[in-house]
Amino acid sequence: MECEAFREDQMDVLYGEADAATARRVSEHHAACAACREEMAGLRRVRRDLTAWALPASVGPRRAQERRAAPWLAAAAAVLAALGAGYALRPGGGGADVEALLARQETRHRAEMAALRAALVPAAAASGPRTAEGGPRVGSDELLLRRMQAMIRDSEARQDARVSARLAALTEEAETRRRYDLARVSAGLSYLEGRTGQDMVRTTELMGRVLQASQQK
Amino acid sequence: MPSQEKPMSKAPAPSDEVLVEEFQRGDPYAFDVLIGRWDRKIQGAIYRIMGPEEDARDLCQETFLKAYRALGTFKKEARFSSWLYQIALNVCRDRLRRRKSRPQVSLDELMEAGEVAPFGRGPSPLDLIEARDLSRAVAAAVESLPQEQREVVVLKEYQGLTFLEIAQALDVPISTVKTRLYRGLGQLRVRLERQGIRAATPLPALTP
Repeated sequence: MECEAFREDQMDVLYGEADAATARRVSEHHAACAACREEMAGLRRVRRDLTAWALPASVGPRRAQERRAAPWLAAAAAVLAALGAGYALRPGGGGADVEALLARQETRHRAEMAALRAALVPAAAASGPRTAEGGPRVGSDELLLRRMQAMIRDSEARQDARVSARLAALTEEAETRRRYDLARVSAGLSYLEGRTGQDMVRTTELMGRVLQASQQK
Repeated sequence: MPSQEKPMSKAPAPSDEVLVEEFQRGDPYAFDVLIGRWDRKIQGAIYRIMGPEEDARDLCQETFLKAYRALGTFKKEARFSSWLYQIALNVCRDRLRRRKSRPQVSLDELMEAGEVAPFGRGPSPLDLIEARDLSRAVAAAVESLPQEQREVVVLKEYQGLTFLEIAQALDVPISTVKTRLYRGLGQLRVRLERQGIRAATPLPALTP
């Protein structure tokens, strides 16, 4: 029927992919066709309903999330220790650890990638110093899969490390801020003390002069 | 091997296609960046297409393994994302085929399995909503779609691909994508309305 001719255009409009001419065509048709208008409204409702489907936390991977908990906890504990116990971080201290961790991961990762590349070449040449059992293709498949798993793991670990690095940077920033505030407060206190001290000196001086004057009479 | 480039540089992130070129020129690190960029999205898509009983992480790894092997010959006719989704979809289809006939999860079966409550027994559809099980109800409805429709619904609604990208990923004409999506949405509408599912929609007024 005539309405069917608008179906594809209607989909474009529904998903915001329609150009001006298409949008106008659909809107003109809708002005004249109650059924299509109602259908469009129904499709919009379904789209809104579909947003209710949330992915479970387990997707990303369950095992990775258990691993993920460790650096998070460590970082969170570090923040608590630093702030709660008033432990003063040396500038750059926590960050340097994380940097080192990142660098170590990076090195290991690059080595693994290099090994992976190296493994691919002999697989193609079909004559590598490979273990006798299994055959070269199966062996290389398993090797590749293991490497790939390691790569995905590393990719996740690096994301963790980045979060930890950010957390460490935040901790440091908070600590710097705290020390700056403390310095300001203590500067303010000593200023007040200075004022008080000067007043005392002046008062004592005055008293001394009054005493002297009274004794001279 | 000395590492000359900083892993956390401030330069704007290179596009997928640039990374692919770098990989093809021999920098394996570029592939790792692509993994970091796409593994969550691909896993999400796989989970939604395959359902919770399949290990999405496993299939995601298989996808990247296949991508790694084929990336050397990747041509820039399609976008990298479409190409990657295409591989993921093929991995999913292979798995479904190997499952032999994947039991098409119909609403009736879900009711039998206690996933969705039948009318008049156990918690009603309304209870489902009240128990904030809307998410599960929608998941079950999408899962009950035929594979072809489920794929386009997931790629469009949850992965936000354009019609063109989906057409490239599925290797079908754009009009086919739109038709499948139209049918899929129509079926979902019927199923969800039959269950009384409504997400944040005001109830119709009782009096005119």
